[in-house]
Parts: sequence; C-alpha cells; structure tokens
Amino acid sequence: MSDGQQKKTFVITRFDPDRDDAPRKQAYEIPVHPDWKVLDALNFIKDEIDATLSHRWSCRMAVCGSCGMMVDGEPRLTCKEALSQYGDTVDVAPLANFPVVRDLVIEADGFMEKLTHVKPWIIRAKELAVEEGPMRQSPAELEEFKQFSMCINCMLCYSACPVVANEPEFIGPAAIALGHRYSLDSRDEGAADRNEIFRGEGTVFSCSFANECSEVCPKHVDPAAAVNQAKLNAVIDWATSLVLPRGGDK
Amino acid sequence: MKHPLLKLEPLIWLLFGQGILLGTVLLTPWVLVVGLAIPLGIVPADALSYERATLLASHIVGRLVLLGLIVLPLWKGAHHMRHTFIDFGGAERDAWVAPLLYLLATVGSVLAVVAVIRI
Repeated sequence: MSDGQQKKTFVITRFDPDRDDAPRKQAYEIPVHPDWKVLDALNFIKDEIDATLSHRWSCRMAVCGSCGMMVDGEPRLTCKEALSQYGDTVDVAPLANFPVVRDLVIEADGFMEKLTHVKPWIIRAKELAVEEGPMRQSPAELEEFKQFSMCINCMLCYSACPVVANEPEFIGPAAIALGHRYSLDSRDEGAADRNEIFRGEGTVFSCSFANECSEVCPKHVDPAAAVNQAKLNAVIDWATSLVLPRGGDK
Repeated sequence: MKHPLLKLEPLIWLLFGQGILLGTVLLTPWVLVVGLAIPLGIVPADALSYERATLLASHIVGRLVLLGLIVLPLWKGAHHMRHTFIDFGGAERDAWVAPLLYLLATVGSVLAVVAVIRI
C-alpha cells in the first residue's frame, strides 16, 4: 500500500451473538486499490485490521454464491461488484430476510430446506436400464431449461423479494426456478408432482411479481419468469385435474 | 377459509392475469376513445350514440366483450388489493381480507352477468 492512495470508509454491520443484543455498525477506513471488488476490501479489513470480522466467500468469480451481502442496501455478490462504482462510504450488511449467525454470515438452513421441497432432481416413472443407453437430449431441449439451471444459490433473490420479507415461509424465487428447471427437462417425468407442490400454500401464487428477484440475480436466471411460468403450469394442471381427476398422466 | 381459497388460487390468478391483459388491451383504447377522441372531435360523437351503442352491446360478441371488460378487471382489482394489503403488513389478516375482496368480486361478477343479459 503506497502513500497517497484513495481511501474509503466501510460501515459494516457487526453482530456477535455472545456479546451483542442487537446488530451494531462499525466503520473502517482503509486504503483501496482501483481494481478492487467489494470483497477485496472486506478481506483486507479481516486480514490487516480486524480479524474478528466474519464473512463468507470462496471462489472470487461469481460461481460459488457464498459472498452475497447487502452493499449500500442492495443484495450483491461482493466478489462481482467493482468498488469503484461506490462512493467514499460503503455500507455492508448481511443479506436481508435471513437470520444472522454472526457479522455478515447468514443462516441458510431454511433456504436449503426450501430447495429440497421442490424435488430438484430428475423424476422417472421407471429408471432406464444401463443397456438402454443414455437419455438423449437435443440442444433445443437443453435450451428449454438451461437458463434456469444457471442458479448458484447465492440467495440474493430472497433478500430482494418483498414477499419473502413479509412471509418468511414463502418458498421463494430460487427454489421455484429450480423446481421449474426440472419440470422443463425432457428427461423428467415429475412435473405433475411439482405442480401439486406449486399449488400448495406459500408457493407460486404467493408471488406478487415484483420482479425484484430477476433484477438482482447475478447470473441472469430470471427467476421471476420461472415463477410465472410455473404459475401458468399450475393453472393448466388445475384445469386438467377438473377434467381428468387423477391429473392425466399420473 | 384458507383451504378452499388455496384450492381456488389457480382460478383466481387466471382471472387476475386476464384482467390485467384486458385492462391493458381494451380499457386503454376505451378510455382513449370515450375520454379523449370523442371530446376532441377526432371521433364523431354519434359514433357511440345510444342506438349504436345498444346495438353493439346487445350483439352476442358485444355482450361477451362487455362481460369480460367488467368481470375480469374486478378480479384483477380484488387480487391486487389483496396483495397490496399483504405487502403493507396485513399478511396475518389475509384469512378474512382475501375472502372479503373475492366475495366483492363475485358479487360484482354476478351483477355484471345479470346486467349484460338484460341489455
């Protein structure tokens, strides 16, 4: 770090469950490099100034999905956000709408449960035998769901979603997008199962289409599109179940 | 009340979605014609004279369009108001707010059906 370097102040939300009753703010003024991402600044604080600061990160390349935080009030992947686009004071807080474990680390257990709830795997009425060869999929069939499979589970969409904020039990954008991704997969036969899940309480119809999830998604998954396509599928499934009470292909 | 409402959710959402669609596609030009084009003299006032309007509205297509124009936006409004209410922190009161709003939409829909039949 050379002299005369630009400095920025980071106002970081700290919380130690053993000592604090409520989260508090702590400011750190540090020299910053023009090429830094927000995460680099947090790592600098942790390594050089205050080793007690807790935050999650891993890959540094917007793939692992673990460094999501509120940066100036918006859910962002801190490894992806250039520091240069922020002012002299940067506010960093844990992702909104999640319980806080410590400092910038949030509790993701509830999210993990929501993910498994939509049966995010290929469901087959009958497994193909090995000698029957692989299940082939054309590029067009892959294209059907590829976008929705790009989710890295960073949970930014849950932080941005006004419905999650109001109803913590809402299954949420990423989980619905993931379930929808499998229902769109040509190898999958579980769409009817998932449509039934999506017609349950706190799922697709709780969404009020604020579109905030798609606004903040760092991988351009467009979960709001997935949720609304899943709504339409659930409606078709509902209408079909009136005519064919056992849900047609089930 | 929550369970039957949950079962009807797909239907309500469908009516809501169509309400938005119709509201945009039909109500906007309707307001443009009746609220702007006629007062400004772009469209002659007798284009929607009582006789012409009645003739248009009493045709089967006219009746269906009118019904859609009244009923679907009613459901759109009820659903939007319900979600706005939830967004403003009324989630725990949704158990009675939602049935009330949908009941209003139902009553409005029934009245619309009666009115359209009686044209």
